[in-house]
Amino acid sequence: MVGLSLGEKHFIQGGIDQNLRSDGRKRDTYRPISVETGVIPQANGSARIRIGATEVIASVKAELGRPNALQPDKGKVSIFVDCSPVAEPMFEGRGGEELSTELSVALQRCLLGGKSGAGAGIDLSSLIVAEGKICWDLYIDGLVISSDGNLLDALGAAIKAALSNTGIPRVQVAAGASGDEQPEVDISDEEFMQFDTSGIPVIVTLTKVGRHYIVDATSEEESQMSSAVSVSINRKGHICGLSKRGSAGLDPSVISDMISVARHISEQLINKLDSEISAAEADEDEM
Amino acid sequence: MEFVNPEGLRLDGRRPLEMRQLRAQIGAVAKADGSAVFEMGNTKVIAAVYGPREVQNRSQQINDQALVRCEYSMANFSTGDRRRKPKGDRRSTEISLVIRQTMEACILTHLMPRSQIDIYVQVLQADGGTRSACINAATLALADAGIPMRDLVTSCSAGFLNSTPLLDLNYVEDSAGGPDVTVGILPKLDKVTLLQMDAKLPIDTFENVMQLAVEGCKAIANYIREVLLENTKQLEYRRGL
Repeated sequence: MVGLSLGEKHFIQGGIDQNLRSDGRKRDTYRPISVETGVIPQANGSARIRIGATEVIASVKAELGRPNALQPDKGKVSIFVDCSPVAEPMFEGRGGEELSTELSVALQRCLLGGKSGAGAGIDLSSLIVAEGKICWDLYIDGLVISSDGNLLDALGAAIKAALSNTGIPRVQVAAGASGDEQPEVDISDEEFMQFDTSGIPVIVTLTKVGRHYIVDATSEEESQMSSAVSVSINRKGHICGLSKRGSAGLDPSVISDMISVARHISEQLINKLDSEISAAEADEDEM
Repeated sequence: MEFVNPEGLRLDGRRPLEMRQLRAQIGAVAKADGSAVFEMGNTKVIAAVYGPREVQNRSQQINDQALVRCEYSMANFSTGDRRRKPKGDRRSTEISLVIRQTMEACILTHLMPRSQIDIYVQVLQADGGTRSACINAATLALADAGIPMRDLVTSCSAGFLNSTPLLDLNYVEDSAGGPDVTVGILPKLDKVTLLQMDAKLPIDTFENVMQLAVEGCKAIANYIREVLLENTKQLEYRRGL
């Protein structure tokens, strides 16, 4: 973990008070973001995101499955995150499990909506192939390769990029199957269906250090945090999910203030991400 | 199944004695003391080295040499069909052990008593030969971390299918059931530090196959040396020397 001396702690806190952080950023600026898509050839879609020294990979795999009996008109999406010990020796063995679970749950909350699947960033009804019989199961895997704070935002961005890189094969369902029979399907090798990713939210984490809050905290800054609020916001400015970490309590008025700041920042982040994703896809096409 | 067609080409278009394309990159993980990405065709692994540093668990401390530890993990998306594997299954424990023993053979552990060196390898894409790729990546990462070593260790596998010795098996060839000889060598000292084989093979054929794998290791060693040299040149350039 980060071992900081008293002087270093004061330096970080003082910098945040004066709106000039240790790496020269202001409180509300992100580190440079770079996106690379199609990094995992065996997946349906994948992306690697670097935010400063933080690096994560997200991959999307699609498999045909049976829809849930309670929601016959919706596909299924699951999100798993793994923290590789490569990123931090602390994650060795079962050491990363707690953080992995925390991140997976936070991402599910931010991207998948409620139990009924309503309000999900991904349109679950577009995953259906034959109602009540066949649907696509999307498995989203995140892997943390290098960790320097702000993992949740990075994973959220990586998943967004991976989904926009995802092509799901078009499926022809053989007509004539009736009743309870499982119909035969023909999976196309050539035609792919793209996702509409415009509705997928981004996650903005505001970390409270001292009296102020900052975006995109490095791991040194995270070690000084009292609490952090992660807000997931879509392009329309709607809040899709919210989670708070850290032990210290927050005043409700501070929280609503943080949400409005996060909303403002998310606009810039979405635009930045979208241009990076399209640049990455153009790069990939040229290759 | 035919693994070598009448024209003498393998399933992925290689000649029997041809290796897959190698790619390596040093310094992939910013916070590690040393790190590297190593690719052999579609197999891609990332290795990070932390240390030498204080021993985390005091009871494991060794008073006259460094403690070397290794953990091997596979990403969920690394294989063709997605599977969620529990951490610390038998296969990964075995590979961790193999990598640790191989790397321990080349690290000058007696120079760093009462300290610990951690090697973590993460498989991003698995297409056969992951253990060789992990060892090669670990060598690069150790060199990047500046840890004193006797020599580079490099590893390569070879097999024997359709009565032809084949170098550097991919996943399809590996799962064909034929013998798979994985060799690790110290190329300058000309010593073998790792040798594993499954399935049976006549002794005279085994010698050929093993010789082939050793040749492969030497070719990888040359490549790794080139990569390290290039990296050192860049570091030198950045320091303005």
